[in-house]
Amino acid sequence: MNPTPTTPFEPEAGAMPLLMAADLQDHLMVAGHDLDRLQRLLSDTCDTLLASFHGAIQQIGTLVDPASAADRQALAIDSLREQLGAAVTALQFQDLASQLIAHTHQRLRNCADQLARDAFGPDADGEAVVASAPLRPNPVTQDEMDAGSVELF
Amino acid sequence: MHSILAVDDSASMRQMVSFTLKSAGYKVTEAVDGQDAYDKAAMGGFDLVLTDQNMPNLDGIGLTRKLRDHPNFKTTPILILTTESSDQMKQAGRAAGATGWLVKPFDPVRLIEVIRKVVR
Repeated sequence: MNPTPTTPFEPEAGAMPLLMAADLQDHLMVAGHDLDRLQRLLSDTCDTLLASFHGAIQQIGTLVDPASAADRQALAIDSLREQLGAAVTALQFQDLASQLIAHTHQRLRNCADQLARDAFGPDADGEAVVASAPLRPNPVTQDEMDAGSVELF
Repeated sequence: MHSILAVDDSASMRQMVSFTLKSAGYKVTEAVDGQDAYDKAAMGGFDLVLTDQNMPNLDGIGLTRKLRDHPNFKTTPILILTTESSDQMKQAGRAAGATGWLVKPFDPVRLIEVIRKVVR
């Protein structure tokens, strides 16, 4: 039986070295987990901001009500400050998300470059350039937008 | 009024930090990375430096190290506010001369409590 002819554009199944395939799979799995984490952070942020928004509207209602007693108004101001504080914590999502996305982007770029190099070989200008994978684990390990720890030395 | 140098390459973080500190009565100067912070710090007049860790040009630990070598910053509190929570990074911050390590996201009330504790 004749072997099935192959072309450079249709590599045989299993042609990719096992170690490289495992490395790519690791990178893609980590990227997938990081995207799941990003989804949880986004969801947590939206929940907190919505709760702060509704809470603030309620307290503003108390503050503008002329029939509202002074002690109730003082409690409303305290509660409003709390809502604002929760919103300040939640709004830090953008910073965490940006770092998470930048890290994942670098990982995916490395995978794409490795695949391109192995499938197409060197380009006209010479050896294909492969962007380096992140050297360190993702610095964002947070799973939710709860305030982080404080340690004084 | 105490003066604080707030350092972060994220504009949204600088806004959140500045809003929190100004609401508590502090004067705030912002810097966009460690090098910008060092240039501004060298002019003097700060009672505390609150810095991010991962930034272009000069990171928070590098900034801390440089500031500790500066005669005006031998005893000025330097707090690192970062997403990094590994013990290895914390120890590196401590070795560089940081006063404390705060993991993002920060709670505004807690942040002000910590600052009041370290700024005399």
